[in-house]
Amino acid sequence: MILLALCLLAQSQADQELQKQLEKAIQADQQQTQQGQPANPPAPPAAVTGSTGTVPQTLMRGAQSLNPDISAILDATMGWQRRAPQFLNGDDPNLHGDTAHALGFTAQEVEVAASAVVDPYFKGEVYLTIANLSGLEVEEAFATSTSLPWNLQVKAGSFRSAFGRQNGQHLHVQDFTRRPLINAAFLGDDGLRGPGAQVSWLAPLPFFLTFYAEALSVSNAPASIDGPLPEPVKSFGANVAQRPTLTAEAKFFLPFGEEWSLYGGLNFASGESPGLSVASGGTMGAGRQTQLFGADVYVKWKPANVAQTYGSVAFQAEVVVRHLAAGDGLADDWDGGAYGQAVVQFARRWFVGARGDLIGLPASSVTARTARGAVDLTFQGSEFMRIRAYAELEKGNISFADQSVGMLLPAVQPSWAPALFFQLEISIGAHGAHPF
Amino acid sequence: MIALIAVLHVVSSIQTLGSLAKEVGGDRIEVESLAKGYQDPHFVEAKPNLMLVLNRADLLVYVGLELEIGWLPPLVLGSRNPKIQVGEPGNLDCSQQIPVLDVPTVRVTRAMGDIHPLGNPHYWLPPQNARIIAREIEERLVLLDPDGRAAYQKNLAAFEARVARKEKEWGGIAAKLRGMKIATYHKSWTYLSQWLGMEEIGYVEPKPGIPPDPQHLVRLIAAMKEEGARLLLMENFYNKSVASLVAEKAGAKLLVLPTDVRAEPSITDWVTLVEAVLKQLAAAA
Repeated sequence: MILLALCLLAQSQADQELQKQLEKAIQADQQQTQQGQPANPPAPPAAVTGSTGTVPQTLMRGAQSLNPDISAILDATMGWQRRAPQFLNGDDPNLHGDTAHALGFTAQEVEVAASAVVDPYFKGEVYLTIANLSGLEVEEAFATSTSLPWNLQVKAGSFRSAFGRQNGQHLHVQDFTRRPLINAAFLGDDGLRGPGAQVSWLAPLPFFLTFYAEALSVSNAPASIDGPLPEPVKSFGANVAQRPTLTAEAKFFLPFGEEWSLYGGLNFASGESPGLSVASGGTMGAGRQTQLFGADVYVKWKPANVAQTYGSVAFQAEVVVRHLAAGDGLADDWDGGAYGQAVVQFARRWFVGARGDLIGLPASSVTARTARGAVDLTFQGSEFMRIRAYAELEKGNISFADQSVGMLLPAVQPSWAPALFFQLEISIGAHGAHPF
Repeated sequence: MIALIAVLHVVSSIQTLGSLAKEVGGDRIEVESLAKGYQDPHFVEAKPNLMLVLNRADLLVYVGLELEIGWLPPLVLGSRNPKIQVGEPGNLDCSQQIPVLDVPTVRVTRAMGDIHPLGNPHYWLPPQNARIIAREIEERLVLLDPDGRAAYQKNLAAFEARVARKEKEWGGIAAKLRGMKIATYHKSWTYLSQWLGMEEIGYVEPKPGIPPDPQHLVRLIAAMKEEGARLLLMENFYNKSVASLVAEKAGAKLLVLPTDVRAEPSITDWVTLVEAVLKQLAAAA
């Protein structure tokens, strides 16, 4: 009720503002007319369309094409940061600083997407990405089956795992300029993705419950500690030739009336960690059997007709706990992290969000406790354009569980790291709708 | 013979199409709708529970012309239902035989707003289009359930007769509205205007889906005054504040009209939907 009241209040203030502007504009218009100047011309007709007749039908037929839907999305970002973040995701804005401050611009991501129905059996989707102008990558390229029986669906190719909520989403679906810390810390700086296959099954129940199983050939190198900032130790990616990364997920959805939605998931992944390379050469912790346990929840309040209030609220949280078995010089270890965020739409085109991240809960020999708080303000000019202001404050290196091992890793300096970004996101072409 | 248990499960994107399917399918089908009649059909949330609804469908009927492009495709894919995928007999785009209006005659760009490149998808109010939809549905139901052919044909004939009776009944109202100048909020009343001979002289949205700025509204108000447009039509799922302000300044009346079955509890089928629209128009004319 409080949320509804706030949205209505914001709406009514916007209305009052428009009324004032309209009164002013009408007054100016009348003055112009009295002074003999030409008044505003009448509202223009819809010049782009034929209003009647069957001629356009031929145009429709002419517009038929077997080309896939093609789109491109650009995230252009400028910003300032006191130092580079320790957990930098591939599609985070990279200003190329390390321990020194950085100020500049980046094309945070250019995504080119193509999608189409392949035949009566598959839909195909390809997403190429250039993050921070650093080379072309296949973010995803996969086929999804459309005609399997028994509520089964198969996805094959290279794709983002269904592990958790944010991992499966592309940058332009994120509510913040940077992905959460758990992404780079546990799932991989490009998220948990790679070539593989997925089978999913929609349970025939009165509520939505889907199970997923995946095998992915994830490949990662040992984390380097040569630089001024320690790289996060990857959960998976060692021994790619013999040991695929395996995952299992369950996702459920419960609507509460028309306004409230609860979408949640339980996630598991298993593989081998590549560990870290040490100054003396060689590795530590390479080939450790690793398991990730995760849970995610997404709660949304949005009236059936958002246009009545232009208000909505979405809460999202994920938690990941990692188990690294003993091996290659390191003892059995547990670490984990979580984030929680809230995004509020308070006017037709405006959203405000806040997110809190905590990594190293518990802290382990390879993961220091790091905390981050972020706020953002997003102006959605249209369905195809967003401008976002984003500010964050990171506190790194709060503690290591095992100081003796922690000493191997360089301490993040300075530990307090504020950053500020302005992000412009545009989408051109036909881009497919996103799932809830 | 009346089927005691429905043979086909039909899911519609909007409730009007479900209602038309029910007219034709009668007791042989059961119908569910994804969007509610009081929702903006452009912006339905693709909630996963709707995949479950589609998972059980034998036939999906939808408006097409990309009205539902923002939410229906991921639901159909996620439904894991081979019967309703595009190209299958259980997938019926109801716009196939509709004489589509507002088809762009120049190359479209999004500088024109949220324009529908294939033409205006808000076509289900005029009787001639309701007939086309009903016939399309009847053909598809026969294909999926040949045993019901006689029942579907009989139901279709009864519906068409009812529409014909209603058209005569509505003739007086239509005559009264012919030539009337109106403004509308969104460019979604084209088919109604063409059917009734009303002339649209402007829109509150400067471009489809783009919120108005004061300068545009001043021009619209001036045009409404100059042209003598006494009515401003708006769907009941939009916020009234801007439209009522424009209507007040232009000396016009704001009509908040339903566009879908169950937009209001009393609107139970296509006939009561059209009647509700016409009655309000007639009372305000």
